[in-house]
This record gives sequence, structure tokens and C-alpha cells, in this order.
Amino acid sequence: MRRSQIVSLLLAILIGFGSLAGVLAAGWAPVLGVQLQGGVEVLLRPTAPADDEQLDRAIEIIRSRVDALGVAEPDITRQGEQVVVQLPGVKDKQRAVDLVGQTAELRFRPVLLTFNPFDEAEFGSALDLAGAYNGAVDPEDDTEADTETVEAEASLDFTLPEDDIADQAVVLPGRGEPVGYVLGPAELTGEAVAEAAATFNNAWVVNVDLTDEGAVGFDEMAARYFGQQVAIVLDGVVESAPVIRATEFGGTAVISGTFDEDGARDLAVALRFGALPVEFEQDDVRTVSATLGEGTLRAGVIAGVVGLILVGLYMLVYYRLLGIVAVASLAISGSVLWSLISWLGESRGLALTLAGTTGIIVSIGVQVDSNIVYYERIKEEVRRGRAVRSAADASFKGAFMTIVWADLASLIGAGVLYQLTSGTVRGFALYLGLATLIDLAVSYFFMRPLVVFIARRLVNEEPRRLGVLRPADGDVAPAATTTGGTS
Amino acid sequence: MIAALRGFYRGENSWDILRLSRKVLLGSAAAVLICVVALFVRGLNLGIEFEGGSVWEIPVPEEAQGAAADDAADGSGDAAADSTTTDDVASAAAEAGVPDARVQFVVVTGSPDIFRVRGVLGPDADSAAVAGALADAVGVDVESLSSRQVSPSFGDEVAGKARRALVVFFVLIALYLWFRFEWKMSVGALIAVGHDIVLTVGAYALFGFEVTPATVVAFLTIMGYSLYDTIVVFDRVKSNERSLPARSHFTYHALANVSLNQVLTRSVNTSITSVLPVLSLLVVGAGFLGAGTLAEFATALLIGLLVGSYSSIFVAMPTVAWLKGYEPGWAAAQAAADAAGRHDSMEAATQALAAESYTRSAPPRPRKKGRRR
Repeated sequence: MRRSQIVSLLLAILIGFGSLAGVLAAGWAPVLGVQLQGGVEVLLRPTAPADDEQLDRAIEIIRSRVDALGVAEPDITRQGEQVVVQLPGVKDKQRAVDLVGQTAELRFRPVLLTFNPFDEAEFGSALDLAGAYNGAVDPEDDTEADTETVEAEASLDFTLPEDDIADQAVVLPGRGEPVGYVLGPAELTGEAVAEAAATFNNAWVVNVDLTDEGAVGFDEMAARYFGQQVAIVLDGVVESAPVIRATEFGGTAVISGTFDEDGARDLAVALRFGALPVEFEQDDVRTVSATLGEGTLRAGVIAGVVGLILVGLYMLVYYRLLGIVAVASLAISGSVLWSLISWLGESRGLALTLAGTTGIIVSIGVQVDSNIVYYERIKEEVRRGRAVRSAADASFKGAFMTIVWADLASLIGAGVLYQLTSGTVRGFALYLGLATLIDLAVSYFFMRPLVVFIARRLVNEEPRRLGVLRPADGDVAPAATTTGGTS
Repeated sequence: MIAALRGFYRGENSWDILRLSRKVLLGSAAAVLICVVALFVRGLNLGIEFEGGSVWEIPVPEEAQGAAADDAADGSGDAAADSTTTDDVASAAAEAGVPDARVQFVVVTGSPDIFRVRGVLGPDADSAAVAGALADAVGVDVESLSSRQVSPSFGDEVAGKARRALVVFFVLIALYLWFRFEWKMSVGALIAVGHDIVLTVGAYALFGFEVTPATVVAFLTIMGYSLYDTIVVFDRVKSNERSLPARSHFTYHALANVSLNQVLTRSVNTSITSVLPVLSLLVVGAGFLGAGTLAEFATALLIGLLVGSYSSIFVAMPTVAWLKGYEPGWAAAQAAADAAGRHDSMEAATQALAAESYTRSAPPRPRKKGRRR
């Protein structure tokens, strides 16, 4: 046995179990998908064609909304034009479904007060002002409004998204600036805006074209709040709060300020499209209860373990000593795969899905097959009279090429599916591909040297120990002259 | 039979698999025909992912089972179903705006039994309201429900994507096999894979199983396995073909037969070890999840795995052998063998291969020492 093979064997064991130990020590565990721990999965599709910029911005907005829900591992990804939002373990499922992909209104609200949100006294009086305003406007809802104010006062927080109601006063932050606003009921919505564009004219400004109806409403608002600020509010954030400088706009308005190019463009996009720059349709909404998720997970785990035990027993009975190598290969592959899945979950937030789990269970078969292809070649050569130790060396090259060509076909399949499909099938393709790559590595760096080691040290030229019966023992010359293989 | 198995274990099998395949293929053709007819007549039972619609799953609470057990003296299994019937659930669904809902009671060992409600939301209905109404009808908290809503256009898109992925996959695999082996083997492999897919999809049509994305995953797995198997067989044939000395002495038929016999043990063992995890998935999946995703997935896989191993031996290779038979060199070899009345050219091929690669009892030729090919 060559030194390089011993090194390779030791390295494989070290890397295989070392990575597992590292992952366990770091406290990483696979992130479980929605179907395995319960939660919400929403697939959004734009109702009209959307470009990359719009989709990326939409994802950003959805992400910030989801962050407000306090989900541990939200996964929001783009797959072509679709946006997949996965919220495993989310508690209030209906609220999550509503929040994701809703095209919130763009609203114009008069500014009642601006304050410094870092000053607790100012914040408190701002909340009082809003509470008083709502109490006066809506006496029927008195008690509820009061309790809400009390709660809000206690926590000194801006108005929550679900309390952001058009005809109520709200307390909201400015975008990217340390200013809080107390805002009156909405005067206009984004429907008043026909078109908005950022233009450069000595400084960056945003030109707004209003619809015919919108122009009337805008002028009314301008008359009422002339000389005061009106806030443009999106998704609970004040995008801009320009001062009204005229009472007759005649259908167009110009918003000027200290915009840089990006700021002006963002505001124009916000004005044009409302909260999400794209309108989405919820194509596929799935909520899974925690109990169902746990049941599925348990079934998958038990099925995997039982399957592994059965396969291990079969290999041990059929291939005897070589069966040990098969079981050890599975153990190494398994620990590498576990580490990889944990790492992907930890660093990328990539969740292990139900389809992924089945892909892995299926890949048990692929890993074992690599062993079988090799062992059958060894047995064939031994039956022909070759010495076991020589057969183990010499058979590997041919066997490994077979494994490579066959695995390559699996990889092509996994690659195509990963690129061209979405959702379930894509998750399956990912884990099938990973498992196949691990299979190749384990076959080369672990299975081969271990088999060679066993063939040299433990078989003692008794092929029975490998489950080989020669056609007719005795009519084959002892392979005394054999030297090591070349591969 | 025992003797045959024993010979098999010892690697003494030398069966004329190609000739056998001619008879077996009749059965295959019949099965394919039945499946195609079933596909056209019965069609596929598509899940909501492909047709659009909604599904709610409502677990039956333990307390309800206990309460129902008081008046239902006969047994415990159906007690929950007695307290709230599927009709109750269906009428609750209809009131909330899901007319013609299909309600199933699914018994699940190990976790609460469930009602599964499938239907299409009415124009004014709201899925949250339906979930609430269903939870009330069964008497559970709305958070314990699982649900799914799919828009009708989504299914078309999923199916379209899957079809496109399949076409690309087939083209790439055909090119790959052409590059690696030869185009005749591309043809053989694709026919074998097509055969497997028709049989598996046909089984779904015949038994009326629901086709879900998980099923599509199963079909893809089957294709993968089948190709993998076929490539292992082809690889052996190719390497044997390269090491045969003068091809005029042997027919392709013999070469293919010898190669098939050589890889047969591997095929059988691989099938067994691949089927074992799937069987456990089927038994455990069915045991824990009723007619859940895992069980259906496993059913498709089981059928596909068995058919896939079968087809790489009995469909892929015979197709290639038939195509190769028309190549001038192999045709001449066949004609010569027929003229000489030699039917044992398989044995000759075996011996030639053995002599070529494994010259152990004779003094070793130095050039070949330790070489496999």
C-alpha cells in the first residue's frame, strides 16, 4: 500500500468526521424548510413583465417587511421572474401571508409635527399628539385607541404596519434620516399619480404628473396645507416631506430638495408603483402547521435510518469485509453532507426541504452503487484467478471511470433541473447534485484506499472473506507472482 | 432455480440475455400500450399545483377523539370521524364559500388524523375565512391547520418549465452519450428512459394517483437511475469491445451478451440496495403520514427503480445490439457465424476476453502485467 493512499485515507477520515465535529461544535444544524417545521411559503409572480431592478427592489422591500415579523431564517429568492418567500417557523401565518407581496398604498399625509426620535420626551409627546388626534376623530373607537396609545407610549415605537390606517393619525420615521413625523390622515393616495420621473436641472428633482382626478385632489390639499409640509408615505416610512409652495398645480408638481441621483430615482419609482415597484400575484400560498411539519420530518428521518440499516446489512452479508467499507463510505458521505447542509443553512439561510430530504435518501443508492461497481469488478478478477490484493488495485481504474461517467449523467441532470425549474424540483436537484459530488470524492479518496488496505491486511488471500466463491476452487493457479497494480 | 442462483453468485452465469429479451420485450410492448391507452382514456389526476385550487388539512384533536369514544362504543379508530363527519366539514366549507369541496378523512398513525379538504375558492370567498370556518367545524385552533392556495395559471407554468427542462435534459444527455460512446447508444438509452417514464406515468394514470411536484421529482429520479444503470452497462460493452482482438471472430450479439452477464450481478445488487431505502420510505411514510407526500413519492420511485434496472438490460442494450447489427463489420461477423452454424460464439467471446485481459494461469505477458484493459 502506497504512502499516498494511507495519507488519502487518513485525510478523508479527518475531513469527513472533522467537518462534522466542527459543525456540531459550532452549534450549527440544518435549517429546516417550511414543510419540515411548519411555516409559510409564498410564491409571487409579477402581474406584468418586470425588469431586474424592479424585482430586486421588490425583494428588498419584502425582506424589510419580513424582518419586522421576527422570522429566524427568512429565505427570499428570485427564480427568474418569480419571487419565492419562505418563512419557516413563522408564528402568525395569516399576517405573514397578507404582509408579503401586498401592494401597500402610497399616501400623501399632512405633517402635524416633526420631532427627534432619539429624545424620549419628544417621542412621548409625539405619540400623545397622534393618540389625541385619533381619539378626537374617532370617539367610537375610544377605548381601543387609548390602550394602543398606552402600549405605544410604553415602548416608544413608531406605528406598526397593521395600525397604519389611512384615516388615522400615525407616527412614522423618515427614510434614511433621524427624524420622526406625526402625520394626519391621508389626503391622497398613489392613484393620483400618473407618472413620475427623476430629472436633472441644476439639481436632481422629481417631476410628478397627476391624473385628472388626482390634480383636483392635489390642488385641494395644496390649498389647505399651503406653506406646510406634506409627507409622501410608503410602507410606513416617510419617503420625502416637501413643503407646499403653490395652491394651483395644474396637474404637474416638481419635488425639489437635497436629492442625489439615487434618492431622486428611488422617490420617482416609489411614486410610480406604490410600495412594491411591481404588482404581484400570489401564485402559490402554502401554510404548514408545526405538527404536520414535525410528523413529516420524523417520518423522513426514520425512513432514512431504517433504509440505511437495511442497506448496510445487505452489503455486509453479500460482500463480507468489503461491506464494512460500504458502511464506512456511507458514514463519511453522510457526515460531509450533514456538515454541508448545516453550513449552507448557516451562511446562506438555505433550508433543507422535503424534496431535498428525499433526494438525499435516494442518493444512498447512488453511493452504494459506486461500491458495488468496484466490488463486482474485484470479484470478477478474483474469480478469474487474480490475487485479491492485486485485483483490488487493478480494478479501481475501470470501476472509477464507470462511476465518473454515470455520475456525470446525474450531474448533467441535476444542473439542468436546477437552472430551469423552481421550487420543489429545484431543491431536489441541488441536493442530488451535492450528494453526487460527495460520492465521487468519497469513492476516490476513501473507498479505494480502504479496500486496498483490507485486501492486503485482512483478506489473507481467502476470497471467501469478500464473498467470492471461485467457479471451482482448486483449478486456478495460486497467484504467487503477482505484484501491485499500476493504477 | 437454486443452481442458477448459485451459479449467479459464483459469477458463472452466461445466459443469452439478448435472445431472452426478444420474448420479454413483447411483454414490455404490451405494458407500454396499456399505459398509453390509460393515459389517453383516464388521463392524469393532477394535484392542485397543476390545476390550481385550494387544499386545507385539519388535524382532528385528541380531545375530540376521546369525547367521541364515549358514545361510540365500537372502536377507537373511527371515533374522531364519528364526532365530526366529512359531511359536516363539507357543509362548513360550502358555507364559507367553497362549493363542491372534496373532503377526505385520512387516518394517520403516530400523529393526529386529518380531514383533507380540496376545492376551489368561490369568487367572494377569503381563504383565511374558510380556514377559520373549517377549524371551528372540527373544533381546533386555526393555527394548527395547513393549507395551500394555487392560482390556476401557475400550474401551466410549472408544467411548461418541467417540459422545457426535460427537453434540454434529453438533448444534453443524448449529446453526452454520443460524445462518450456513440449515437446508437444515445438512441438505446433514450428509448429505455422513455419506456420507463411511460410505464411510471402510465401507472399513475391506471391507479389514479395524484400527480404533484413530488411526483415529478420521482419521475426525474427514475430517469436519472435508469440512465445511470444504462451507462454502467454501455461502459462495460465499450471497454470489452475495445479489448476484443479481431472482431470478425465474434458477433456483436455475443459481445453484448457477455457484457450483460458481467454486469448483471451489479445491476441486481444495485437494484436491491436502491429499493431498500425506498421501501422503507414507503412503509414508514405510509405508516406515519397516511396517503401523504412521502408514500406517493415512494410508490412512484419503487415502480420506476424496478422498471429502470430492467430496461437498461432488456431495452437499452438490445436496441443498441440491433442497430449495431447493421454496421458492415458486425453484419459480416454475424453472417459468418450463421454460415458456420456457430451459436456458441458467446463462449468464444468470453474466453477471448478472459485470455486478453486476465492471463493468469498462462505465463503473464509482461506488457499486460497488472493492466485491467
